[in-house]
Amino acid sequence: MIGRLIKSVDRLFGFTRPHKGFLSRRLPAGVGYWHCFGGITFTLFLILMVSGLFLTVHYVPSEHEAYASVRFINERVWGGRVLRSLHKWSASLIVVTLLIHMTRVFVMKAYRHPRELNWVAGTALFVNVLTFGFTGYLLPWNQKAYWATVVGTAMPGTVPVVGEAFVRLFRGSEDVTGITLLRFYSLHTHWLPMVSLVLLWVHFHMVKRRGIAGRL
Amino acid sequence: MADDYVNRPAFYPEYLFEVIVVALLTLELVLVTALLLPPSPGRPIDLVGQYQPRPEWYFLWLYELIRYFPGKTIAVGAVLVPVGLMLLLGGIPFIDRYGKPVRRRYVLWIMLLMAALFLSTTLVGWFR
Repeated sequence: MIGRLIKSVDRLFGFTRPHKGFLSRRLPAGVGYWHCFGGITFTLFLILMVSGLFLTVHYVPSEHEAYASVRFINERVWGGRVLRSLHKWSASLIVVTLLIHMTRVFVMKAYRHPRELNWVAGTALFVNVLTFGFTGYLLPWNQKAYWATVVGTAMPGTVPVVGEAFVRLFRGSEDVTGITLLRFYSLHTHWLPMVSLVLLWVHFHMVKRRGIAGRL
Repeated sequence: MADDYVNRPAFYPEYLFEVIVVALLTLELVLVTALLLPPSPGRPIDLVGQYQPRPEWYFLWLYELIRYFPGKTIAVGAVLVPVGLMLLLGGIPFIDRYGKPVRRRYVLWIMLLMAALFLSTTLVGWFR
C-alpha cells in the first residue's frame, strides 16, 4: 500500500532517478535571453544569502541595540555600508526579476502539464520572498520599519473571531515590541531561508526532470 | 528533428558560459547600484508622534487596496483578496489543462486582471 503510494508519487515527480547527463543535456529550440530571469533571480538569492550572513555577524536583534547595531554596520564596520546596501538593493531587485520570470513562464505556457509542480513551487517561492521582505523591513528597528510593521501586523486582526489570535502570534505581544523584533529576526534568518532552500530544491529538481520548455 | 536536437547547444560548455556571464553582470549591476545609493539607517523610533508609514514598493498595492474596504469589510482587502490571489496564482496550471484552448483564455484574463490590479494600485500608492 505505502510502496504503491511511493511508486506513484515517484512516477509523477521522478525523485529516485539520478539526473543523468545533467551537464551534457541539449537545450530545446526557443531558449533565449528571457529565460535568464530565473537564473538572475537565483543569483540575487545567492547575493542576499551571502550579504545576509555577513550582516548577522554584527547585527543585534534586541529592542535596545538593533538600531545602534545597524548604525554601527553603516558607520564603523569595514564595507558595512556596501554590505547593507547590497542586501537592500538585491531584495528590491529580486521582486522585479521574479515578476519578469513569472511573466515569461506564463507567456510561454511553461506552467502547463507536466510542469505544474514547478509553477506551484515557484508561487510558494514568490510568497516566501514577500515574507522575507516583510520580516526584513522591521530589522533596522527605525521609525519607518516600526510603523510599517504596526500596520502590516494589524491586518490579520481585521478578520472576525480568529484575527486577534493571529496578531498576537505575529507580534508575540499586544503591540510591536522587542519580542516581535526577535520573532521577525528568527523568521528572516532561520525559518525562511530553510523553507526557501527546500522550495528551490523542488523547483530546480523539476526543471531538470521535466526539461526546459522550448518553443511555443 | 532528432538530428536537429543533437546539433543544439548543450548545457556544458555553451550554456554554462552564458549563465556565468549573466550571473557576473547581475552582481556587477547590484554592486554599482549599492555603491551609488546606500540606504540610510533612518530615524530612531518615535512612539509618541503621529506617523504615516510607507511600506516597501512591493507592498504598496496591499496598503492601497485596504483603503477601498471601509469599516468592517476591511478584512476583505487585508486578508481575503491577497490570500485568494496567491491561491489563484498557484492554481493556474490546474485551471489551464492541456488540450483545452478555452482554458488558456480564462487564465490569460486572470493574469491580465491581476497585473492591472497590481500596477494600478502600486502607481496610485506611489504618488499618494
